[in-house]
Amino acid sequence: MSATMESVPDFGALGERAASSLQPESLTDAQRVARARQAFIAGIDADMATYLESCIHCGMCAEACHFYIATKESKYTPIYKIEPLKKVYRRELSPLRWLYRLTTRDVTAAELEEWQELAYDSCTQCGRCSLLCPMGIHIQSMIQVVRNGLAAAGFAPAELQAVSVEQRDHGTVFGAGPDQLLTVIEQVRAKGVEVPLDKPKAEVLVLSSALDFLRDASVLEATARIMNHVGADWTVRSNGFESANFGALTGDKRAQAKISRRIIDAAVACGAKTIIVDECGHAYPVLRWEAATLYGKELPFEVLAVSEFLAQEAKAGRLKLRKKANGIPVTFHDPCKLGRMGGSLQDARAVLAALGLPVKEMESHGRTNLCCGGGGGVMMLSRAKGLRQKAFELKREEVERTGAATVVTACNTCMQNLELGKEWLNWDKDIVNLVQLVSENLA
Amino acid sequence: MNEGLYIQGISLLDFARGPALRWAVVVFVIGVVWRLGAMLLYTRRDLSRPNAASAPGGVKALLTRSAPPHELEKDIMFQHYSGYAWHISMFLVLLLFAPHMLFFKGILGFGWPTLPNLFITIFTVLTMVLLLILMVRRVTNPVLRQISTTDDYVSWFAAFLPFLTGVMSYTHITFGLRYEDMLALHFLSICFLLVWFPFSKLMHAIYIWPSRYKVGAAFARRGVRA
Repeated sequence: MSATMESVPDFGALGERAASSLQPESLTDAQRVARARQAFIAGIDADMATYLESCIHCGMCAEACHFYIATKESKYTPIYKIEPLKKVYRRELSPLRWLYRLTTRDVTAAELEEWQELAYDSCTQCGRCSLLCPMGIHIQSMIQVVRNGLAAAGFAPAELQAVSVEQRDHGTVFGAGPDQLLTVIEQVRAKGVEVPLDKPKAEVLVLSSALDFLRDASVLEATARIMNHVGADWTVRSNGFESANFGALTGDKRAQAKISRRIIDAAVACGAKTIIVDECGHAYPVLRWEAATLYGKELPFEVLAVSEFLAQEAKAGRLKLRKKANGIPVTFHDPCKLGRMGGSLQDARAVLAALGLPVKEMESHGRTNLCCGGGGGVMMLSRAKGLRQKAFELKREEVERTGAATVVTACNTCMQNLELGKEWLNWDKDIVNLVQLVSENLA
Repeated sequence: MNEGLYIQGISLLDFARGPALRWAVVVFVIGVVWRLGAMLLYTRRDLSRPNAASAPGGVKALLTRSAPPHELEKDIMFQHYSGYAWHISMFLVLLLFAPHMLFFKGILGFGWPTLPNLFITIFTVLTMVLLLILMVRRVTNPVLRQISTTDDYVSWFAAFLPFLTGVMSYTHITFGLRYEDMLALHFLSICFLLVWFPFSKLMHAIYIWPSRYKVGAAFARRGVRA
């Protein structure tokens, strides 16, 4: 069932290479603290203040976090990861700030630096902790604000920051720009699959992902086959094709807005009514849920994850699939960013049903899915590899218990992390991404 | 005239259930209103198109958050259910112990049925034992110890003391203190609880509702049950 792909790119090495070219900003400790404080304050609104006022220090969130469950190290308790934000809130915004200023210490540059590991290496922003907190604290949303503060203070990991700067300033990721896009598209065209590039007008704008350039063009090829099969009026735009947003992963809000803006402008230029985000986990919520607010107005198009699009087209009867009569059961790994944080929980399952593949669910599935351990930019950090492997073990156990031989997912990062896990553990599972599975079974 | 300690012509008991309690209530009310000011901060308008209405999800989360799905709850069973047990016991003792009901009747003008003392004793002991276990857990469990602050320990005392002084008054085990003075200490422990409440995590009794609503609404907007 598995599509053949080249081996998984070494994102750690890519990150390190990018980091070596980063010119870090020279800042004093006082400047770093001031910048972080400013970013924290800018990120705290009434909702977040309510969350910050509610914490009862019960620590239950630890048991929702794959990094804590896998290591039992208390520092990985999700609410602990926002400690610098709590401090700043208490002293600067809280109704009791006059009291806290007398009784608590201000956040320090050393502390902020120490929190880099907690906000980046050991948090994939999967949001599972936000589902368990008995007070209803949306911890994930606050960890993003911690990232905003650390990025502003120059404490984001250089691996992420370097790519964020590259993408912000040049519109490329790992050097992949319009020329590389054309090369990849030519490869797909050489296989007889039409890919419309830079059509002046199109109903649907399809985004690509860094994987198309780092590995092979199989995901783009699969997507193109499907788009042509359903008869969509679609295009890829060379001035806005990359779905990944390293500004968001780094926590650099201005970079995030600028990177999203490029896609929005490309869609507006060709009059697209729909943007399809390819199988890139974080890219979907960043564009679907965050871009409009940063843009300052509602987006003039709808944003769909490719799995949503597939389910929609299958339901409408335009996507015709070869349905297996006695399909071998598979299990589905919900990408956190698409499911819990994105809202697309049933779409992939509907597509698998249309393919005639029964789904054997893991214990934690759908909204309570356990993260594979690779999201949120963690895959780019070599030093987090050991931690990622430990967290992956939890995923492996849940997959094993289903008895399914194949794991289907709908996110390139999850896909690659699962494949890496397969390599680490000499695992006998097939890892398949949904878009390729569909393209191989077009009727 | 009461028996017991007198300070400047007023008995400790009259002071505790008179001016001390009145001022404690004033601090409590003003403090709570002040602390709720956090909710008046700037609210960010989300310009993304919602998948579903957020308000029903928010309302639903008020209750559903009390019963997390099994896969999330399985490792927090003790903490979760001991939390339920002592909170429920506390409210039963507070509202259904006959002398407490009579105290509230004196203020409100109406009363309600109460529980026999045997049950009150059971619930009191249960609350105190659970509070003690949870405190031991807080100081021994690395996760809890790491995130604990002075607030947690003081708030624990603020919750525990009314039970301790209440039991001592009720059983007349007062270690030489007169009953009236013990009862006065019971009232003073309540005064402390009321004064401490707005400055501490005890505020969660109020904040839990907007917080649950907001997380429920945020997830519902994206079409996910929180």
